[in-house]
Amino acid sequence: MRIKINSSKILNAIVLIFLLIISIFYVYPILWLFDASLRPLIDIFQVPPALFSGSFEKMFGIYTFNSFINSFLNWGTGIALINSVLVTCSSIILTVFVCSLCSYAFAFMNFPGKKIIFIFILSTMMLPLATMIAPYYRVLQKLGLTNKLIGLIIPYAAYPLGVFLLKQYFIKIPVSLIEAAKIDGAGYFRIWLRIIMPLSKPALAAFAIIQFKEVWNDFLIPMIVLRSGSLFTLPIKLQLMDSQTFNKPYDAIIATGFITAIIPIIFFLIFQRYFIEGLTGGIKG
Amino acid sequence: MLFLKTRKNSIEFLTPFFYIAPFLSLLIIFNIYVFFSGALSSFTDAEGINPGSFIGFENYQEALTNFDFWKSLSTTIIYTVLSIALQIPFAFVLAYILNMVPKIFKGYLRASFFVPVLINGVVIALMFRMLFNKDVGLINWFLGLLRLPNKIDWVNDSNYTIILMVFVSFWQWTGFHMVYLLASLQTIDNSLYEAAKVEGASQLRVLFQITMPMMKPALTFCFITSAIGCLKLFDLPFMLFPNAGYGPGYSARTTVAYIYEQAFSQQFRFGYASAVGWLLFFIILIVSIFQLKVLKAGESDEN
Repeated sequence: MRIKINSSKILNAIVLIFLLIISIFYVYPILWLFDASLRPLIDIFQVPPALFSGSFEKMFGIYTFNSFINSFLNWGTGIALINSVLVTCSSIILTVFVCSLCSYAFAFMNFPGKKIIFIFILSTMMLPLATMIAPYYRVLQKLGLTNKLIGLIIPYAAYPLGVFLLKQYFIKIPVSLIEAAKIDGAGYFRIWLRIIMPLSKPALAAFAIIQFKEVWNDFLIPMIVLRSGSLFTLPIKLQLMDSQTFNKPYDAIIATGFITAIIPIIFFLIFQRYFIEGLTGGIKG
Repeated sequence: MLFLKTRKNSIEFLTPFFYIAPFLSLLIIFNIYVFFSGALSSFTDAEGINPGSFIGFENYQEALTNFDFWKSLSTTIIYTVLSIALQIPFAFVLAYILNMVPKIFKGYLRASFFVPVLINGVVIALMFRMLFNKDVGLINWFLGLLRLPNKIDWVNDSNYTIILMVFVSFWQWTGFHMVYLLASLQTIDNSLYEAAKVEGASQLRVLFQITMPMMKPALTFCFITSAIGCLKLFDLPFMLFPNAGYGPGYSARTTVAYIYEQAFSQQFRFGYASAVGWLLFFIILIVSIFQLKVLKAGESDEN
């Protein structure tokens, strides 16, 4: 505890209870989604909710995997899941590769225009692509990238924030290591591969997780790029399910929604430290 | 250095450019060129991928005299102002008091506030649409328990559109700002607090004269990211309201949703959509520069 408070103990207890109550507000909807995904369709929407009905039988007695089975068998959630995983993983690999090479040059090499180019790259962070979806689509169309998963992978690779975060980390690596490798006859690429990359694992992990969240959760760009149902990623699949006017498959929507939501959460809980380091790296640097 | 005498020298000279080339070329094609080509096509009557012909400022004129555009812009701006005004102060309070609690709770609390940030906007919107359902939603049931009016048709009544959007985005984004502000709070040098204590400064004075000024960069970051994020909002209102997705009476149609509608659903007015896109981009740019200036100015005053 950093700041001493005079009537400390009581106040601290009140603060703690207040925060725990607030945290219910944040956590409960996710628990609701989890609970609903395991219930039969007729039990999802009950007043009062089955979880608060009081009878144990109703609360926990009727959990089933039917919603998941329905969404996988009848709504192609499996394919959408594969598409999402494919796009996200390829995008992370490509982005980390492209951005780390670029940051490497900015951290360890001297070249004319270095400062201006770096500022230029940073300033492109201010460009909100969402406002330019029409010309963006046309560029993809010209390059033959529309209605292809690769059209969701390549354009994401130039991520200015990534260059910034990685450069901030790279410059902390002692130059003497690089000088020593140079004397041993290692070229720039070898140094990048054998020294810089292995030493930067925490920064790379942080950046990979940020990119994971961005790509996994993107909605607008896949909406305009993808046309065929077999290519849909999870968010687009959810939109498709929801656009059914009659007999909306609420159980499948909830199950698919739960899968879409839980995967980044699991990643976050495993790599929490890296994630927050990465997100906040900007202000410390 | 600029005169390349030998081959080895010129390779040495070019090496850095090989390393930045992949990034830079992708950035130019998929960012810079997109904005540039958007600027060009905003002066044409382009439809779909057909380039169309030059029509001067007609698209801009049309947008600026179009009721739907202004409606969408006012929806977006009201949403943005309310979101920022509620989220950032609350996130600051949360971060400030979270910094006081014992470590064992801190991890859980921080994670629980942050988890909504990770969830797909589409999932959040669909989930809250169910929770806000008039007859079987959890929210109305809960309001009933508290003996409050509980027959509110949240998603189909245009009076509640903005409230609902602000509420859901509050749930989604407060944790993001909180984590950011908390990290910044923890980087403040402890000796500053000790010096204040020695001089007998009150808790409130420490907050206003040490903590807040030290957190200016983080606050600036939160204000700007959340303004940009709000102004280009699309997925939340698009999915929060049933059927057609723009809310009752189009009351939830944000400007990006309006652009999407003009360019990709039913009509394919790429030229017009580009013009509206540039108008929105200008607004975003002005807002961010303004915030940067205001917060920077405040900073230098206090130093």
